[in-house]
Amino acid sequence: MNKNDIKLVIVVLFISILGFDFYYLNRDNNPKIAVVYYDNEQVLTIDLSIIEERKYTVTGFNGEVTFKTLDGKIKVESENSPYHLCSKQGYISESYETIICLPNKIVVKIESSSDIDAEL
Amino acid sequence: MLNYDNDLKKTVRLAMFLAFSVVLSMIETLIPLFNGIIPGFKIGLANMMVLAVLYIYGFKDAFTLGILKVILVGILRTGLFSTTFFFSLSGTILSVVLMALFRKITPLSIIGISIIGAISHSCGQIIIAILFFNINMIYYLPFILLFSLPSGILVGYFSKEIVNLYQKRLQY
Repeated sequence: MNKNDIKLVIVVLFISILGFDFYYLNRDNNPKIAVVYYDNEQVLTIDLSIIEERKYTVTGFNGEVTFKTLDGKIKVESENSPYHLCSKQGYISESYETIICLPNKIVVKIESSSDIDAEL
Repeated sequence: MLNYDNDLKKTVRLAMFLAFSVVLSMIETLIPLFNGIIPGFKIGLANMMVLAVLYIYGFKDAFTLGILKVILVGILRTGLFSTTFFFSLSGTILSVVLMALFRKITPLSIIGISIIGAISHSCGQIIIAILFFNINMIYYLPFILLFSLPSGILVGYFSKEIVNLYQKRLQY
């Protein structure tokens, strides 16, 4: 570990802190929807403005994938995959966050309702 | 005759490095470290062998080793030509190329090069996720940069030991 390595460590730390800052500042408070894709095709849109708990099911590549929404957040509750990475990820709620389940070819993206208004 | 002998030695050693790197990446999946924090985060222990070969034999052999490692791990673990296979292929290619480049143009030691390798491996995966699978993973970038530091330093330290050991014991 020489001086140049320490410089590199400091630069990387600085960039990552800048990145965290950027996401923190870019949070918006518009109501959001979750869009579920299977094999790059949109299969389900879920309104996240509902406060109480709801469950949704989509058929993935390895069987059924169950989503749970609660107070503006969404998570994968159960799915069939070797490592269960996407159900371990837990709730997501911000528009830059995604849940990706490659074995099931399922992607969940969060979109702000204002984006959809702009498209219409 | 002597030249033939050296070539044979080199080939056998590279095969041993390859076997080590495949075993390391199999062992790595047994360690459930950080599994909950970032999905799919790994320390990258196998990169230690690629880095050591880069320092001992140069870019060409390290590149070949990296590609062969991805193919072998693909056969053994994830399945050849699956999505995960292409993710690790792009990550490995980018990391080997960038490690060789940074070794040439910057005065970083092997630990710094290892951090560069850790970051670029993840960046290669993000690039392929965005280009081919249309998944916005750029949000992971700050996390990846942060976690690349400890894992890169760890891997770099071990590769330094490997290179030192190699130069001491196996040079004849």
